[in-house]
Amino acid sequence: MEILIDLQFASEEGYIDKETAAMVAEELHMTETRVYEIVSYYAMLKEKPQAKYVLKICNSSPCHFSRSEEVCLSLEKKLGVPMGKTTDDGLFAYHYIPCVGACDIGPVIKIKDTVFGNLNDEIISVLIDDLRRGKIAV
Amino acid sequence: MAMKEPVLLKRVGKMTDSTSVEEYIKYGGFAALQKAVTMDREDILGELDTALLRGRGGAAYPLGRKWRHLYGSTDTPKYIVCNADEGEPGTFKDKLLLEKDPLSIIEGMLIAGYVFGSNDGYIYIRGEYRHIQAVFHQAVSNALAAGFLGNKIMGNDGFDFHIHIVSGGGAYVCGENSALLNSVEGKTGRPRVKPPHLADVGLFLKPTLVNNVESFACVPAVINMGGEAFLQLGTKDGGGTKLICLSGHIKNRGIYEIPLGTPLDEILYSEEYGGGTSTGRPIKFCHFGGQSGPIGTSGQIKGCLYDYGDFWSHKLAVGSGAIVVMDDSVNVVDYITSVMEFFVHESCGKCTPCRLGTTRLLELLQNLQHHKGRPGDLERLEKMLEHITYLSACGLGQSVSVSVNSALTGYRDEFEACIS
Repeated sequence: MEILIDLQFASEEGYIDKETAAMVAEELHMTETRVYEIVSYYAMLKEKPQAKYVLKICNSSPCHFSRSEEVCLSLEKKLGVPMGKTTDDGLFAYHYIPCVGACDIGPVIKIKDTVFGNLNDEIISVLIDDLRRGKIAV
Repeated sequence: MAMKEPVLLKRVGKMTDSTSVEEYIKYGGFAALQKAVTMDREDILGELDTALLRGRGGAAYPLGRKWRHLYGSTDTPKYIVCNADEGEPGTFKDKLLLEKDPLSIIEGMLIAGYVFGSNDGYIYIRGEYRHIQAVFHQAVSNALAAGFLGNKIMGNDGFDFHIHIVSGGGAYVCGENSALLNSVEGKTGRPRVKPPHLADVGLFLKPTLVNNVESFACVPAVINMGGEAFLQLGTKDGGGTKLICLSGHIKNRGIYEIPLGTPLDEILYSEEYGGGTSTGRPIKFCHFGGQSGPIGTSGQIKGCLYDYGDFWSHKLAVGSGAIVVMDDSVNVVDYITSVMEFFVHESCGKCTPCRLGTTRLLELLQNLQHHKGRPGDLERLEKMLEHITYLSACGLGQSVSVSVNSALTGYRDEFEACIS
């Protein structure tokens, strides 16, 4: 699994493509089905290409009741796409995930390894602009 | 009752580099290990028994008893595993220890390695904490370079111990110890059917000790101060201090170390800790110990002590140390529906009652949420909860009912109001 996580983080589009899965299977002397069993079981591993920045909004109860829904509304307004859809430029997508262990700064967005907390409409707007311009790296 | 001297967080904030062995030793690190290797193994177990250190992951099982079980196991090799798959919503204390004092966890694991004559330890760190995995890697290689890991530790012949770091992949259920071991073995992380106990048949089918991060970090403290002194920090139902995580509608969200037995009111309202609600509204209820823990109404928690025994007598539980505070703007049905969404998402699918049961429960709760409940729904809800509790193999399924039942007991009228 760790091999797969590292490969995914190193990949352009943030997923395990067919060739990669086949290569891992061959190297580890296991079937591709076994590799896909792992990929499909663990939430962090993806079978499909992802947007460049996937904004993951924590929606477990501490965040849910710290206005995480408003984060989605802000993002929808800012990006013009509903949850689960990627923007036309392929840069952004957003969805809910369970607890990321940052309950003290909810509501939060997680992008790759970075958590952005204590969000409001304005902070989110600045965050998106900064990401677009490449001002922050994640 | 203010903390005189932090036990678990004593180095946090003081060390400029949390992975530095030199600094760790400067602030009292590795003293316990040095002491432990001069002690008889039985005596170490005795100190842990006296300390009444309860497992800090959530189950509150006395650590001394768990260690004795493994000690009695004759098969070899034995494995030491640290559960750092912190995924319980409202819990973020292990993250702090892993990041700010990783060597204390390593020291705890080393002491276990010494007691059990084990050569290999594994730490399973949740996938979402990738930057912390990097910190831990650094701490392990520093310890290795300084002779506190590897072969002949501190020059002791025959004391060899290695720590392997394994990353999780984003599955809550892997925090369940047997699922965690399956995941370490490279399988899908689904729980095993028990018995056999992991102390008999664990990792790679060998006897295995699995403890939480905070539990391992407590072990050096017990050895340093002695079991009796550790017990005195807490109460007769559980020794030591506990890391608590305040979140939700509380002013000072964050992690605090408190002696077990601290009044809950102090934790919630004193400026030193919670400082009251963030919204200015009164507290309606608190959710303790994670999603699978109980909900305590404001009436129920009044005058409680944050202590294993006092909590149990009030039908509450310390669990992981999470305290999610909700003010009176929150409808309990909405809250419980949010909790159930989590369980639906995280059920691994191995047991049908849990896989389908949580989904059916969520549907029923969503109906109630939209005031579309029908007469008999609450009875159906209770029946389903009973089924899931008795027919699921692991702690996830078995404890789905805890929060819902406690909410039903405390706020039945709010559920009934959803029935037309």
